[in-house]
Amino acid sequence: MTRAIRHITMLTLKDLRIEARGRQTIGLVVVLAVLIVVVLALGLGSGGGSGGLTATAILWVAYLFGGVLIFEKTMAVERHDDALAGLLLAPIDRGSIYAAKLLANLVLMFALALVVTPVGIMFFQFDLSVAPGGFALVMAVSMIGYAAVGTLFAALTSSTRLAGGLLAMLVFPITLPVVLISTRVLANLFEHGTSLAGSGLALLIAFDLMFLAASWLVFDVVLEA
Amino acid sequence: MTARLTIQHADIPRFTQAGAIEARTGQSDSRRVLRLAQSESAAMLPAVHAVGVHKVLDDRPILRDLTFDVPAGCYAALLGANGAGKTTLLRLLSTLTTPTRGELEIFGRNSRRQGALIRAGIGLIGHQSMLYRDLSALENLVFFGRLHDLSEPGVRAMDLLDFVGLVDRAHDPVKTFSRGMVQRVSIARALLHEPRLLLADEPFAGLDAPSVDTVERLMAQLNEQGMAVLLANHDVRQSLRLAERVLVLRKGRLALDAAASELTVEQVLREIEQR
Repeated sequence: MTRAIRHITMLTLKDLRIEARGRQTIGLVVVLAVLIVVVLALGLGSGGGSGGLTATAILWVAYLFGGVLIFEKTMAVERHDDALAGLLLAPIDRGSIYAAKLLANLVLMFALALVVTPVGIMFFQFDLSVAPGGFALVMAVSMIGYAAVGTLFAALTSSTRLAGGLLAMLVFPITLPVVLISTRVLANLFEHGTSLAGSGLALLIAFDLMFLAASWLVFDVVLEA
Repeated sequence: MTARLTIQHADIPRFTQAGAIEARTGQSDSRRVLRLAQSESAAMLPAVHAVGVHKVLDDRPILRDLTFDVPAGCYAALLGANGAGKTTLLRLLSTLTTPTRGELEIFGRNSRRQGALIRAGIGLIGHQSMLYRDLSALENLVFFGRLHDLSEPGVRAMDLLDFVGLVDRAHDPVKTFSRGMVQRVSIARALLHEPRLLLADEPFAGLDAPSVDTVERLMAQLNEQGMAVLLANHDVRQSLRLAERVLVLRKGRLALDAAASELTVEQVLREIEQR
């Protein structure tokens, strides 16, 4: 167990070091996500779509597209010069590679959320002060589920010519329940003051566990494909 | 710019490093001593033992009924036309994929059931470098060394960079290197964990003549130290000069398995090109 944790830490830090050096992924993703929020805000017009449901739905659109780019780019690092084969040749559990890639993707997604969320709040007059902790918790739990699926499918599609487009086509439908539940839970929390307990958060956690377990189990097969 | 490869040390960082580490640190490294003992006992077993190996990809048979041995410490060349199955065979031997049918053993270990153990004892130099372009040569080697649980990955990495003549470029990103330099770092990566079998998939592709000469010498020296080498190559003349054994693949089948000294270039070419 300790050995696996050590491997996961090394692999995650490697990904983050590569990203910190080039800042290619996060720079691109943040610009895209901010643009999505701004364009949708302008399209909906002033006051045309304020409130918890609209704000969280539009933030999710930005997170979804930003996330797909993150998953694609972090996996592309492994495909360049076949670095992935170097990892597969090391005597490590292949689940560690999945866990590390997922962690690196989550760090980047959280960084994206840190930048994009204030932009959404500003454009949609969304009062986050009602339940900032609840918002962070629901978003974090939802993003784990989304990233769990995205990381798995990025490994599957990264060797194909369609890569990013195919990834979006596969990941969006599968993670739709997560997005719908997350948006509904946040809308209830911010518009009706409903407590998080029994609000669907447990369902989100169940989705996370299911996606994580399934992805961990099949990642080895996906890498061989 | 393609730098000329130079061997700066007469002695390669040996894959019997236990003594060297003990001398440098004053501590014994039981894992390495154990590995050394294992390597001595494993020396009796063939490096590769293949029986009836088939590989099917996308419903197309790539390798058919391959049966052959590569003895421990042997330098063998694997020849064949494009698409003959050389790369697929090396991927099987390196456990990156498994045979569809048949049995494959590396130093007595079954490739289906003991993949992790096999990977600890093989090094692979592929078509591509298997390195991270944005990391430096040293960072790459230390990273892969840690994945292989080396006790002193930094020391080992610097030893190997010294061996391949790149110690002065240790901190430069790999993306700034020429093809020849990248290939040298790739060789260093393959040797990090002191493998007993080196699999090289066209390691001379894209190198200039001086670099080819030096990579040839590096591999010959490793073989002299007891490492088995399986070299997939297109150059028949070069392969006959370097290797003791020659295996020829034709359309996924083993067409020839003979001592290099008994073969001529024309004979081998005939076997490769025969329809």
